[in-house]
Amino acid sequence: MAQSRTTLLFFLTILLIFSSPTTAEENLFGSGKILATPGVIQVEGTAGGGLTPWAVISGYGTNRQIGGSVHHTYVTTNDFTLNATGATVGLYDRLELSFTRQWFDTGSAGERLGLGEGFKFNQDILGAKVKIFGDAVYDQDTWMPQVALGAQYKKADKGAIVRAVGAEDDDDIDVYLAATKILLDKSLVLTGTARLTRANQFGLLGFGGPNGSSRSLQFEGSVAYLLSRHFVLGADYRTKPDNLAFAEEDDAMAAYMVWLPSKHLTVTAAYTDLGKIALQGRQRGFYLSVQLGF
Amino acid sequence: MKFLKTTLIAGLLALTTAVHADSLFDDLGGKDAIARMMTRLVELTSADPRTAHQFEQTKKDRLARLLTDQVCELSGGPCKYRGVNMKKSHIKLGITEAEFNALVEQLQQAMDEEGVPFHTQNRLLALLAPMKRDIVER
Ligand code: HEM
Repeated sequence: MAQSRTTLLFFLTILLIFSSPTTAEENLFGSGKILATPGVIQVEGTAGGGLTPWAVISGYGTNRQIGGSVHHTYVTTNDFTLNATGATVGLYDRLELSFTRQWFDTGSAGERLGLGEGFKFNQDILGAKVKIFGDAVYDQDTWMPQVALGAQYKKADKGAIVRAVGAEDDDDIDVYLAATKILLDKSLVLTGTARLTRANQFGLLGFGGPNGSSRSLQFEGSVAYLLSRHFVLGADYRTKPDNLAFAEEDDAMAAYMVWLPSKHLTVTAAYTDLGKIALQGRQRGFYLSVQLGF
Repeated sequence: MKFLKTTLIAGLLALTTAVHADSLFDDLGGKDAIARMMTRLVELTSADPRTAHQFEQTKKDRLARLLTDQVCELSGGPCKYRGVNMKKSHIKLGITEAEFNALVEQLQQAMDEEGVPFHTQNRLLALLAPMKRDIVER
């Protein structure tokens, strides 16, 4: 918690220093991208929709600028709550670096699972994403999407417990390839992402297990509709591995509405269905994410 | 037979309305609306500190006229653009992506002021976006 607060403060300071009124024609922190084009911060802390990474680079920096954002995301389902806090930096619309810490609170389910009321599974996610080719915004006359390659190093903090429930490791790297196409004449943003992963419940329950010890290929998709300049409606679907024997793991989905009053504030509200988690049945609920950036 | 004829006519009608609905030129409000928007765009571009420095030597009326013809033709209207092509007219200006996007935002404002609906605006922007390849130098 202390660490994330420091990160937050650090980025807010940077924001204050550099987003001061810009008169220079080419301000390094001038937020030169068009509103909404960097997407929002998805649950693992990278630019995307709600659950799915997109091929876009976080922040409003163009090819000659630097952008960045901080976010806090809160998810509440039938039995669990998830909080996530993190920051992103987008360098020259080419490379994105991100850090997010997630706190997964088992609430009273912790008691039923023998972990103790309010037991928390936490993890840190360090992400990097590089745009390889294509441009989602400008390539309106071809079918070529923007394609990016990304990696997420994840480290779960309760090593002994995640191993006790069957996971093989408490850290690993997810690798994904994302393709995003904006069909501007239809006001649509389409994304398909393929991920190699052995994460159990995004990594919160460790990596690998009795039913699968190596990475498997998973698919994620996202459809977003630009309702108006300041509102975007979207839906994400994400398949997940099912490596643990003690509890079944399902696919996850989210349907969300994004409000972008300016380039500096983004609010995402979502309905989400994360499927069955840790024997507590299907987890449906709400999701709220607030993002500050430039 | 009568049924067939009715269906055919209905089908043709549907088709013509579909084609009509597809005319971006009409949806933008026709030539007069486009001319007003392009005049406003040049005004905004020349005032905005992000882009003004590029237009210090520019004859505003001429540019607005050329832009009007260009957008009119591009959107399917009865006009002919007779200016210099995008590559030649912007070469050596050293236009950046941020400047290009600033102009897009100014165009959005001009279209808002004219009352062009958001989704119609996006159809025009989709036609202009690929020009970035010829216009942006760095
Ligand atoms: C899709 C975007 C754009 C379109 C459709 C467009 C269109 C045009 C047209 C039709 C001309 C007139 C060419 C001629 O003289 O025959 C022109 C000239 C010019 N454009 Fe653009 N332009 C765009 C973006 C930009 C941007 C982003 C800038 C800089 C911020 C810019 C700066 C200029 C300048 C300085 C001229 C020369 C004006 C003069 O003759 O003095 N343009 N543009």
